[in-house]
Amino acid sequence: MLKPFRTFKGGYRFKNYAGQPAPVLIEADIPKQVVVPLRQGFSSEVKATVKAGDAVFAGQIIGRDDESISSPVHSPVNGIVENIKRMNYFKRDINMVLIRTTNSSREITRLPGYASEWWKLSNEKIEELIYLSGVSSLDREGIPTRFKSSIVQPADVNHLIIHGVGSEPYNISLDLLLEGKNFLNFFEGIKILKRLMPNSKVHLALNARKPKLIEQFVKLTSQIEWLDIYPLEPKYPQGYDEILVPTILHQKFPYGYSAANIGIVVLNIQAVLGVYKAVAEGLPLIERIIAFCGPAMKENIHLKVRTGTLLGDLFYGKLKGERPPRVVLNSLLTGVLMNDFSLPIDRSFTQIIAIEENNKREFLSFMRPGLRRDSYTRTFLSKLFPNIKKIADTNQHGEERPCITCNFCEEICPVGIIPHLLSKYVKKGFIDETIMNYGIFNCIECGLCSFVCPSKIPLVKYMKAGHEKLIMQGCDQAQCILPYFNLKGLEEYRGVTKL
Amino acid sequence: MKLIKDVLGNLNGVIQKNKFLAKFKPVLNAMDEFFFGTSRVTSLPYILDYIDIKRFMSFVVIALIPATLAAIYFWGLHILAMIIVSYAFGGMVEVAFAITRKKEIHEGFLVTGLIFPLILPPATPLWVVAVGVVFGVLFGKEVFGGTGRNIFNPAIVGRVFLTIAFPKIMTLNWPLPSIGVGADAITGATPLALFKSQSIVNSYSNLLFGFCSGSAGETFRIGLIAGGIFLILTRIIDWRIPLAALSTIFVFPHLSNHFFHTTFAPGLFQILSGGVLLGAFFMATDPVTAPFTKSGRWIGGIFLGVLTVLIRGLSGYVEGLVFSILLLNACTPLIDTLVLKVRYRRK
Repeated sequence: MLKPFRTFKGGYRFKNYAGQPAPVLIEADIPKQVVVPLRQGFSSEVKATVKAGDAVFAGQIIGRDDESISSPVHSPVNGIVENIKRMNYFKRDINMVLIRTTNSSREITRLPGYASEWWKLSNEKIEELIYLSGVSSLDREGIPTRFKSSIVQPADVNHLIIHGVGSEPYNISLDLLLEGKNFLNFFEGIKILKRLMPNSKVHLALNARKPKLIEQFVKLTSQIEWLDIYPLEPKYPQGYDEILVPTILHQKFPYGYSAANIGIVVLNIQAVLGVYKAVAEGLPLIERIIAFCGPAMKENIHLKVRTGTLLGDLFYGKLKGERPPRVVLNSLLTGVLMNDFSLPIDRSFTQIIAIEENNKREFLSFMRPGLRRDSYTRTFLSKLFPNIKKIADTNQHGEERPCITCNFCEEICPVGIIPHLLSKYVKKGFIDETIMNYGIFNCIECGLCSFVCPSKIPLVKYMKAGHEKLIMQGCDQAQCILPYFNLKGLEEYRGVTKL
Repeated sequence: MKLIKDVLGNLNGVIQKNKFLAKFKPVLNAMDEFFFGTSRVTSLPYILDYIDIKRFMSFVVIALIPATLAAIYFWGLHILAMIIVSYAFGGMVEVAFAITRKKEIHEGFLVTGLIFPLILPPATPLWVVAVGVVFGVLFGKEVFGGTGRNIFNPAIVGRVFLTIAFPKIMTLNWPLPSIGVGADAITGATPLALFKSQSIVNSYSNLLFGFCSGSAGETFRIGLIAGGIFLILTRIIDWRIPLAALSTIFVFPHLSNHFFHTTFAPGLFQILSGGVLLGAFFMATDPVTAPFTKSGRWIGGIFLGVLTVLIRGLSGYVEGLVFSILLLNACTPLIDTLVLKVRYRRK
């Protein structure tokens, strides 16, 4: 059923940036060598089931741990395990399996027992397929199965939110993901998930600026009672669990905990497609569609890549300019910096964005009319000409100045806290219950306050620092949350830390 | 561009050789930043908004341009001289403090230096302008720690100081504009004073287009309204304070005028006389000294309106806006604290 348009208070819509990925999909070559991290997505590290010298085939499970909250990891290529060593991967030391490709065929060995007529399979078999394919580790809390792939059990799930809102400055193309038969596959994937979590109500949140897509879905699902479709404004950070839950369900979110704790599973479109592929086609999760975009990329396209492919291989000859650009994973506001090209990609990647490193000074910069400059204020011509593509670069665009309490940060804050006030408390060292009362634990670190500040104050840094200092002093966010919520799966959550 | 770069480079060389001149480094840095922007790059949000304080403040200056030009047109080049004196002496205080504190020069002064002469009577002697702006910047801003920490609007502090220190100059010297009303005659009465003494209500079109006496920048009211709306549309100022203040100043006297014809002027006249428009759009909205919470802005605006009308109607002063803004500034921390207390009270 189609629900009326919804949005939330605060937030900012990043419109029309230069270098958005075109809806073109190119299949990358099979890499000559892959490095597979044994911890991918929402999962703790798994134990390697292979050793150096073993021959592996594409789709073979090379890491699995049924004791902890985790999902199996597969070999993405046919080859020979060269080595297993501990490496630093996104600020964490984890074991990586190095595999040298011997046979670069694209064939993937299917999982046993899949059926294209999936409705004939038993629930147990479906769960097993989802778990064995590794799809169960996707997104913030994974997909619950009885194999401890998430922190809750499938029967505990009350709401399943599937979203394709795309609120970041650079997003993977929704049209591309749901192109052709994928559209129906996606729908089948939702049905599979509904069967897996029978007590849940399914909410499909889509970008309100894509009316055609919404219309197609409404036509397809008009007979189904358990599915609601919500057109949402693509305003950052709408795609965050913390914002999706209040917008869609009008329910308070236990900030600092996960949606799964209140019986809600949030998935995005690729995860649902992965479920369909695992159950109906028996494909393990070793391929991922990743958007390669940004103004510093020669071509803005989508690549279908094998997990474990090294960034260096993917970027070879694809970046513009003499100086190395800044390459960021998933989000320009919160993403991780990827300056080490010897690292591999894994199943949690969605976008890779390259923007120019701009430390050039500009003559009378603040007086420019700004046809291509994005700003929350309407002081640039770009607000009058929204069709002109906007620049994204790493210049700070101004000097640091003291806070003038312009209150932009409060206006734009999606969770309704006052960043400039909190940052002053943290800066002065007044770390006590007052800032907890002012809601510092509600901060979801979306980065909008730092983005919008005309005085260029790193507000997010102050918020993080305040958060850490408070916890060191023994004030815990549990004090703000636990008395008001009935959380599930708290014990299990301790094993796995947030990505 | 190259020329400026060379000049700055040479100056930098000269400054570094001389020990005394080396103290003036902040001035050179400010010029350098003004012309060439920054070379710094971002860290965690990898992209940042293009707005900076320079652009923020220059937009307030842009919004004041119509009123400034009208003032120069009405009262001649003396206004221009006042503006230059204000910028020069205020700038000196700013630079002196930047040098002793070894800090950067901040842009907030761009606005203060322009607003201050605009709220003075057009015939103010230049030395009085200099004294006022020095006092305003020094005791209104710098003693509190500079931009962002001041409690009071520096321009208002300077103006109130002058009103109290030089009452004759500040209250008796009101020339009429050189157009619309006749020759350069000294009248000695603003529309508000005329109402107070003889209950005369000036024609609204004269008030709107500035064919009446008053402070230099406050009489061309069409320009002020346009500037204020421009600032609201560009999001530089918040719409809550002007709306709350202006509607209070309209509604409250409208009611009181029914009962006390001679004490309270009618609502529309209250809005269109004196410095209400200039104050409500450009001074009460100064982000540093106004309440920052949304409900605090409503409360502050209403507070400002009520005080202005009361001072105008019941006190010996003709114009109550400057005092009201000063009082609002003083109450701002209180208003904000109360709003925060209510908003974050423990459940």
